[in-house]
Amino acid sequence: MKASPNLFNIPINRPRLITIVMVAMTLLFAVGALLPTLWPRAFPFLHPVAVDTDPENMLAHDEAVRVFHDRMKEEMSLYDMVVLGVVNEKDPDGVFNPDSLRKIHELTRYAASLHWPDEDDPDQEVGVIAVDLIAPSLVDSMEPAGPGEVRFDWLMAAPPETREEAIEVRRKAERIPFLNGTVLSEDGKALCLYLPITSKDLSYTIYTKLKEKIAGFTGDERYFITGLPVAEDTFGVEMFKQMAVSAPVAMVIIFLLMLFFFRKFVLVLSPMIVAMVSVILTMGLLVITGNTIHIMSSMIPIFIMPIAVLDAVHILSEFFDRYPEKKDRRATIVDVMNTLNRPMLYTSLTTAVGFASLALTPIPPVQIFGLFVAFGVLCAWFCTVVFIPAYIMLIPEKSLKNFGHAPGSDHEAPRSLLSRLLARTGRFTFLRSRGVLLFFLIVTLVAVFGITKITINDNPTKWFQASHPIREADRVLNEHFGGTYMAYLALEAMEEEKKPEAYAAELADRITSQEKVLREEEVDGTETVFPALRDEALRLGSRASSLEEMLDELDAFAARMEMEDETFAPWNEALLLISREKGRREVFKQPEALEYVAALQAHLDDSNAVGKSNSLPDIVKTVHRDLLDGAEEQFRIPDRPATVGQCLMQFQSSHRKDDLWHFVTPDYRKTVIWAQLKSGDNSDMAEVADAVDRFVADNPPPVALEQRWFGLTYINVVWQEKMVSGMLQAFLGSFLIVFLMMTLVYRSALWGILSMIPLTVTIALIYGLIGLVGKDYDMPVAVLSSLSIGLAVDYAIHFLTRSRNLRERHGSWKNATGAVFGEPARAIARNVVVVGVGFLPLLLAPLVPYQTVGMFIAAILFVAGLASLLILPALIARLERWLFPASEKQGKMCRCGTIVFSGAALAALVIINAHQFLSIGWNVLTWPSVGMILVLAAVCYFTRRFRNCHEPAPSNKDEIE
Amino acid sequence: MITPKSFTTFLAPLLLIAMTSASPLQAQAGESKKIPSVDEIVDRTNRAAYYKGKDGRAEVSMTITDKQGRKRTRAFIILRRDEPAPEGQAEGDADSFCKDQKYYVYFQRPADVNKMVFMVWKHVDERPDDRWLYMPGLDLVKRIAATDKRTSFVGSDFFYEDVSGRSIDADRHELVETTKNYYVLKNTPKKPDEVEFSFFKMWIHKKTFLAVKTEYYDKEGKKLRVYEALGVEKIQGYHTVVKSRMKDLRTGGETTLEYRGVKYDVDLPDEIFTERFLRRAPRKHLK
Repeated sequence: MKASPNLFNIPINRPRLITIVMVAMTLLFAVGALLPTLWPRAFPFLHPVAVDTDPENMLAHDEAVRVFHDRMKEEMSLYDMVVLGVVNEKDPDGVFNPDSLRKIHELTRYAASLHWPDEDDPDQEVGVIAVDLIAPSLVDSMEPAGPGEVRFDWLMAAPPETREEAIEVRRKAERIPFLNGTVLSEDGKALCLYLPITSKDLSYTIYTKLKEKIAGFTGDERYFITGLPVAEDTFGVEMFKQMAVSAPVAMVIIFLLMLFFFRKFVLVLSPMIVAMVSVILTMGLLVITGNTIHIMSSMIPIFIMPIAVLDAVHILSEFFDRYPEKKDRRATIVDVMNTLNRPMLYTSLTTAVGFASLALTPIPPVQIFGLFVAFGVLCAWFCTVVFIPAYIMLIPEKSLKNFGHAPGSDHEAPRSLLSRLLARTGRFTFLRSRGVLLFFLIVTLVAVFGITKITINDNPTKWFQASHPIREADRVLNEHFGGTYMAYLALEAMEEEKKPEAYAAELADRITSQEKVLREEEVDGTETVFPALRDEALRLGSRASSLEEMLDELDAFAARMEMEDETFAPWNEALLLISREKGRREVFKQPEALEYVAALQAHLDDSNAVGKSNSLPDIVKTVHRDLLDGAEEQFRIPDRPATVGQCLMQFQSSHRKDDLWHFVTPDYRKTVIWAQLKSGDNSDMAEVADAVDRFVADNPPPVALEQRWFGLTYINVVWQEKMVSGMLQAFLGSFLIVFLMMTLVYRSALWGILSMIPLTVTIALIYGLIGLVGKDYDMPVAVLSSLSIGLAVDYAIHFLTRSRNLRERHGSWKNATGAVFGEPARAIARNVVVVGVGFLPLLLAPLVPYQTVGMFIAAILFVAGLASLLILPALIARLERWLFPASEKQGKMCRCGTIVFSGAALAALVIINAHQFLSIGWNVLTWPSVGMILVLAAVCYFTRRFRNCHEPAPSNKDEIE
Repeated sequence: MITPKSFTTFLAPLLLIAMTSASPLQAQAGESKKIPSVDEIVDRTNRAAYYKGKDGRAEVSMTITDKQGRKRTRAFIILRRDEPAPEGQAEGDADSFCKDQKYYVYFQRPADVNKMVFMVWKHVDERPDDRWLYMPGLDLVKRIAATDKRTSFVGSDFFYEDVSGRSIDADRHELVETTKNYYVLKNTPKKPDEVEFSFFKMWIHKKTFLAVKTEYYDKEGKKLRVYEALGVEKIQGYHTVVKSRMKDLRTGGETTLEYRGVKYDVDLPDEIFTERFLRRAPRKHLK
């Protein structure tokens, strides 16, 4: 186990050079990232720090659901909304009193003014879209005003002066389904303003400005601001504040703990420097390469720090234990590096692989995250092996006086509590190996049961602590209203299969019958005009590529003829006929289609997650009722499409004609149902989507419709699904790679499997716990699986590598246990404590994902440490014969097993990656890979047969005996 | 402010008409070189826009285009009849009686609104207009009580008030600029709370007194809506806008109106502007 001499001689011989180079590199990266950020104009060729807090970007821009979301948002003029709620629980009339309404009126005016010219394009306004703002003073009211009369007016043209007038506003608003449960709460205690904004990233600015304005009000009203964009944008802002606080606090705690263990300030400083340098290099590279700092990438430092410190702690721990013996820093460090060089390289490689495997997930920010953490880990490894020796060489020998563990303590009378405890643990695992294994087996089984209980769910609003104003707003507003989370269900009429030619033939018949009618009415010129129309229709039918094109051309023809021809009246009739034909294509003016949409909507409303929904049928029904003197039984869809059209034209004869186009496209072939969900939980959204699928499957629509969801609430579900499956595959992939690496390193599949056991147990326990406790499996939890690979395998590698050496030196595992549970076990235990406790300050963070990360890093370290120190020695004790094969035969047997196992792993790896890359079905890949395993096994068989194994291979039974 | 380019494009046809035709308006403008008073400009603009002849009719095709470029069309016939002048007052020219009017709007297309009728009795005094609607689908005549005339006219970017005319008493008028061809009026509403704009400017052609462009501004001085006359023809001696456009800068939508078959003084009987004729369209007068 010799270290490659060149690499380690340089730091030991030229420590200053190494230090200077490292500091220079770090400064270069830091400056490269900082300069363009501070002076963007002076460095156009460099990328400034760009922040992206939009969880939507969890999906690539060209992801189908995002493309559809963007297209529908544009087509329906829908925007992301900031929801501003005003609640008055003290007044008997709730918010419907003159004072509250006056404030709401003022707030509406203020909100409508929150727009400004775009910095990049001064012709464009950004901010709140005033024309689409939904507020009592900006919406219309339509109601019967006595027999035969209907009144159109603003719902609240001016703030009411008397209590009666205020109550009147409530009465009017309650009549309008669109407003009831959306703008006003059914209990009358609350009102909501919906502020559509040009872009989500303005929502924090708007949130802040609204809060400033509200601060100027006094009274009983309480104000709440929510909506997904606000939650997401606010999260981004808080995230960076958080980064500036929690990461440094973690650093300080780690530092203090190391100081406690190693008691030498200068020495303890070195891991901190390594961590800092790694973080700066990684983040610097991230910025320089033009990547944005996303919610994911903001966690990079938190992930790199424990891993960076890990190796350094091993070195220090060894150094601490050995220095007193040698009393020579050069000799000690060379010795320490020779021992640790390999395990450190392996652990760093496996960790890097674990994270790099995230590059295979279909989620761009996770890919970036994985690759850069992998880079950071390798950076940390390099810094550790190069800088720490150099650093130690720079410390004058005399200042290391009294440093370290008392000599000889490993074998005789261990002094420190930790040493005593570990020594006892070592003996225990040897004597009670069965018990230990049984215990972990049971625990793991319980954990597996827990894993089956895991609920996959995320909700950006819940990324804030329960006490955060955003969470409070979310809670209160969703109590009063139908729900503040908008999801949109788009229904699109499919193009008819009919060919223009077939259609033209039908049209020709209809032209003929209309001709007959007009002739009877003695409309002059019909006899020439209608045949001309029919001929043109048939001609176009044989030529046009679509029905739409055909009708448009026929329309243009008739319009032209109407202008030119003397016979005005029949051409006018012809145009009417064409218009009627076009009307047939307007699916969402047809009563049966609207009835279907209404039924679907009613089904949606039955779901617990949906508090309220709005739709085109609602509008039609409302107008119909109010035109017919407001009779409740007239709240229905009229029988004829023409009546629907007339109702909608009345709806549009208002202050807000364009509101209609939020629900249907002008060609009436696409409609949107707005579902207001009571929570932003992805599981709720998924449930609602399932409910719709079931409804559509059970109730086929009267015309061919395609239904698809959009809206932020839904996008979150999609990326979550990708995240979960992507993470699982990435995890499996890296698990196999690490296994293969370990098998190669130890040249034994058994050792490879052994090194994966602590990781497997850790993962099972952690995720089992999540399932049992009922914590949602969300984004941070998903990402942590790769961190476990990084950390848990590390301990196993250190433990196994050292165990193997010591077993060889001591001849038997029984004799080696003592040594193994000395220095190597101490290093692992110290690591667990330093890094695990170091990350607990994250629990104080106000953002839940950071709490989760903090908690889980600690838990992973603890469990992984425990698993390495308990299961591995117990297993080695049981499997000693196999792990350290005494005879030739056994060795061969093992090698053969190794080939089969690694072949299978390799095949599985190829399958997973190919599946992920090419989205090939599992079945396609299964058979070739099974074939591959057989081929590998055959190769193994023949090599054994022809080279070494002249005797038949011994059976298992023989081996054991 | 108006740019020279856009100015000349729609000016050219206007000037041509003004120079080649001899209308009474032109003669008067030619005689007196001095600038008329603001009241006079306002009065003549109002007449030129809404009081040509004692009655009139036109076929209108309306194209509504939204920000996304999606188009919808409507076709309707519009009939207008002015209250006859009281005894002893002349009719037919600039001195004509300028009072209440009745409008009858008969929808032809799209097919689903065919036969729908919208009728207005416009009052120039304080009284709100009387409005009726006939919905053939429900065979229903409805009186519409609306205090506000600044709502969309059948889903277009024009308001009811743009079609029937805003009362000249509703605003304070000032002449802010006189260019070679235009009087530029600034009109500020007397009741600012009832309208969405804070003032509007009109470019009034000096010779024809047609408003060729109107711009509505909000409180911050930003343009909200822009009306432009895109085509003018002289019909029966009256300069008539035959194509116009209203752009709504807030929504990015615009509506174009094209007038055909414009006729004045067609002797529309008063009785057709009644509820009775909503259900039974006066076919003779619509042809």
